[in-house]
Amino acid sequence: MSGARGLESAKAWLIMLPSLILMTFFVWEPLFESVRMSLYKTRNVELVRFIGLENYLSVMKKDDFLQALTNTFSYTFWSLLIGFLLPIVLAILIGETRRGKGFFRTVAYLPNMLPGLAVVILWSSFFSGGPTGVLNILLSTFGIPPQTYLTRADWVIPIIILIATWKGAGATALIYMASIAGISPELYEAATIDGANVGQRIFHILLPAIRKLTGTLLILQIISVFQIMYEPMVLTKGGPDNASLSLMQLMWQYAFGGSMNYGKASAVAVIVTIILLLMTAVYSYFNRRESDWE
Amino acid sequence: MNRFIKLVSLLLALCLVLAAVPFAYAEDEVIDAELTCTITLGNWPPDTAADAEKALFEGYRATMARQYPNVTLVPDYYSYSLSNYVPMAKGHTAPSIFQPPFTDPQLLISQGLVGDVTDALEQFGVLDQFSPSYVEMLADENGRIYGLPRDGYVLGMHINIDLFREAGLMTEDGLPMYPRTLQEMAEYGQIIREKTGKAGLVFPASETYGGWLFTNIAWNFGCVGENALEYQDEDGRWVCNFTSPECVAAMEFIRDLKWKYDILNADATTTDWAGAHSLLGTGEAAMNFAADDSVDQPTANKGLPVDSFALIPFPAGPEGRYALAGGTCYMFSPDITGDQAIALMAYLKVLGKLPFLDDEIIAGMRADYAAKRDRGAPVLPAISAWTDESYNAAKQAIIDEYCNVDMRLYNDFFDSISEGTITLKSEEPIFAQQLYRELTAVVQRVITREGADVTKALLKAEESFQEYLDDEYNDQ
Amino acid sequence: MKKAVYSGVIREYDMHSASVRVGYAIIVLLCLLMTVVALFPLVWVILAGFKDLKEFMSSTSLLPASFSLNAYVLTWTQLDIARNYLNSSISVAGSVVCAIVFNGLLGYGLGILRPRGYSVVKKLVMLSLLLPTTISIVPLFMNIQKLNLGNSFLPLWLSFGANAMYVVLFVQFFESLPRSIIEAGHIDGASQLQTFFRIVLPLSKPICAVISIFAVNAAWSDFLLPYLVLRGASMQTVMVRLFVFSTEQTVNADAMMRSVVFSMIPPIILFFIFQKQLTENAVSVGIKG
Repeated sequence: MSGARGLESAKAWLIMLPSLILMTFFVWEPLFESVRMSLYKTRNVELVRFIGLENYLSVMKKDDFLQALTNTFSYTFWSLLIGFLLPIVLAILIGETRRGKGFFRTVAYLPNMLPGLAVVILWSSFFSGGPTGVLNILLSTFGIPPQTYLTRADWVIPIIILIATWKGAGATALIYMASIAGISPELYEAATIDGANVGQRIFHILLPAIRKLTGTLLILQIISVFQIMYEPMVLTKGGPDNASLSLMQLMWQYAFGGSMNYGKASAVAVIVTIILLLMTAVYSYFNRRESDWE
Repeated sequence: MNRFIKLVSLLLALCLVLAAVPFAYAEDEVIDAELTCTITLGNWPPDTAADAEKALFEGYRATMARQYPNVTLVPDYYSYSLSNYVPMAKGHTAPSIFQPPFTDPQLLISQGLVGDVTDALEQFGVLDQFSPSYVEMLADENGRIYGLPRDGYVLGMHINIDLFREAGLMTEDGLPMYPRTLQEMAEYGQIIREKTGKAGLVFPASETYGGWLFTNIAWNFGCVGENALEYQDEDGRWVCNFTSPECVAAMEFIRDLKWKYDILNADATTTDWAGAHSLLGTGEAAMNFAADDSVDQPTANKGLPVDSFALIPFPAGPEGRYALAGGTCYMFSPDITGDQAIALMAYLKVLGKLPFLDDEIIAGMRADYAAKRDRGAPVLPAISAWTDESYNAAKQAIIDEYCNVDMRLYNDFFDSISEGTITLKSEEPIFAQQLYRELTAVVQRVITREGADVTKALLKAEESFQEYLDDEYNDQ
Repeated sequence: MKKAVYSGVIREYDMHSASVRVGYAIIVLLCLLMTVVALFPLVWVILAGFKDLKEFMSSTSLLPASFSLNAYVLTWTQLDIARNYLNSSISVAGSVVCAIVFNGLLGYGLGILRPRGYSVVKKLVMLSLLLPTTISIVPLFMNIQKLNLGNSFLPLWLSFGANAMYVVLFVQFFESLPRSIIEAGHIDGASQLQTFFRIVLPLSKPICAVISIFAVNAAWSDFLLPYLVLRGASMQTVMVRLFVFSTEQTVNADAMMRSVVFSMIPPIILFFIFQKQLTENAVSVGIKG
């Protein structure tokens, strides 16, 4: 290892230093601090004494933790059911249009540009019960009497996922479209000669071509829906009867919901982190060879 | 005899006031030019506030500038919540003065997150004039004072008279035939629902509100004394009890409001405090459990004319007639110095929150009441936090001048308090917010699932809250 | 950029079949349905903004009784939205600069310079990509307070300089740059930093554009950290105001809808200006299958 090369390295580190300081200050140190706090009994933000895993045990034995964990998986389930296939379908549909493709693409992407908080507030009016809710007004034109939505324990999670899907599906569809556009038309034409109809071409050529992308987007979607928080916070406050309470929301409640227990809040945060890391590890195990990263 | 004393004290107070005007508080009077410090004032009216209110606070600022020329006032629009306050207090960025509800002072005091103003109060000579219940709420075990009451409230019921009229629920005097008991409330609500198609009762059951309102209903079903929702046993441990027959009966009543009488608004579980006022104020609901301090909400803020609005006592239950009493207080940053404490008391004095009346304060009160009247908010008697009788009487005399409502629509509420036909009760003593959260979950369950097992849901909440009490208090 | 040829599954020759033509008609209908679903809520909220509180709470009509702009004007002035727009713009501008400079430099280090031990940092960055920042918002806020940076835009700007996703995007892009150009600059005697600003950045316009747009959108929409940091009303951004309205219940439901409209206007305008970059570049750069 020559000295010149060592000097180059040192300079390179110097260039990265400001960015690394920022990463440390905004991401790594707070994360480390969260883990540390989760092992301590806290009084506000002060660490009173080390108590090992007591916060974890105390948090996990409570009913609301189990409920929030189940709900979070339920969010994930519904998000995969509603939010995973839809973008693929949209991508294929928009990709097939011969006229107005640019227009449809623009329209599909538009909701993704809107601030998430504004979207949630907007949609809350759609799902308000009684005759003045927007959805009920629309249903009334078909003679259907007013329904309630966010007060129903079994509906509330699918509804929140619907709202999130409305915002995000179009943007995801565009990612698929970029990938689909990369398929050479000659493949379809060759398949036609072999007697494949449109449906067979989709199943045997198009879908296999986006399989890898599908895997990546799947894991990204699971990671993002696992962190769902402000949507239920604004729409339902986690209700009715904790039916829409998510894990991150539970963390927020421990920290800011009256008990100011940052130790327990951090314990919930660390549990979420561990689940996310586990899921990612499982994913990358199956995708080891395909990963861009090392 | 009693009336005579009242009259004399009223006259005496007025004389004092009049006497004070030309001598003690001449224009441009400087009280203390030496006092030099900066105070930041939370709850300064935001841009969204009415112009009159903003002008009022600018007036306070001008008065302070005259009386204490070297005290700098920095307006802060900070609005307190426990979650945003704690990091600020720890980070030394809390405003000098802010306004928490009465549920929080003891928590803040025990955690050392608020400043002591005992010595400053003594300087102003008002230390002994608190009503004792407030002293208890705002002091630590050594009797040091950390807060001042801003205003108190008593929970009652707001009424939209238009809907009562439409449903034919009026007396011959043209007054609403309002419910005296919870049972009547359910029945009248049903009549209103049938006659008008609107909700009889709005029940804001989101987050913690549902449990908060439920505690008052539970008291009226007998959840007091040995059946209290929470109590301290002989070993000093806090124990909760949600499964007494009384509490179960109260929760079954809530269930019936939805499934038997069907008088609740459509989205009760996502309705919050402001939403409830909106529904009553815009004529979508006829009754709303709410207090005397929020009468401006359905009227001035949501558009209901004052003559379509009434305030009635909290309906009685089968086992009692209680009304929840609470309020907001002023508390102070833990970082305040002795000088800042004095400046803050001077500011509260200018606001008229100390038991003094001078022309500035009277002018301030008049401006306040005039502003309320102009906005279309009812100007009502205030429930005083001070024991000074002449002060209280003089204040009432001014309120009477600005009264813009038919007091017959309010008398029962205020009489029930002054005559003691309703018992005032403050919130459950410990971890009230968490208790409300647990009970709200049960309320939400019973009004969203028709076949919900009330006892089982209450038992689950009881276990959960008991665990919380053990963790946070009993096992400490 | 090559002009895309039509690349759908349905080829020209398929259109001779009647059943495929019906299928194609259904596809177009479904796309139109998607358009309605995507746009209807936006149209509705703008219409709802014309209603007053009583009408908003009681009316069962989707259309407002009147189309007078008074309500919008009143909300605009009463809530001083112009000042919130200004605050948001300040917050957004600084955030974009930080997002490009700091993440770009880190991406340059990890993607091109690769000094000894860089792979540890690369793995750390990759790991941070998976973790929500909300998880550690409490200790982060404490850090900000300790440095006395409360009530300032600085921590918000700098927080955009520490975004793992942007770093990863930069690294991916830089790795695809031809190394010969960079090494040529190096041989000419340019320092590493000069190489970055004179050679690498100019070559990276597409990725910079994409990250700028992402950062603008994220900085505009963000409200949790800004809510904790920007306390004084004089500094609050549009989204912080909206969050305050929704949690502190200080504003009526009708004015709330108008605030929602105001919070959406700038992103929509931005979207229509940059829609080509967004719908074409952003996507293909964003995720590499």
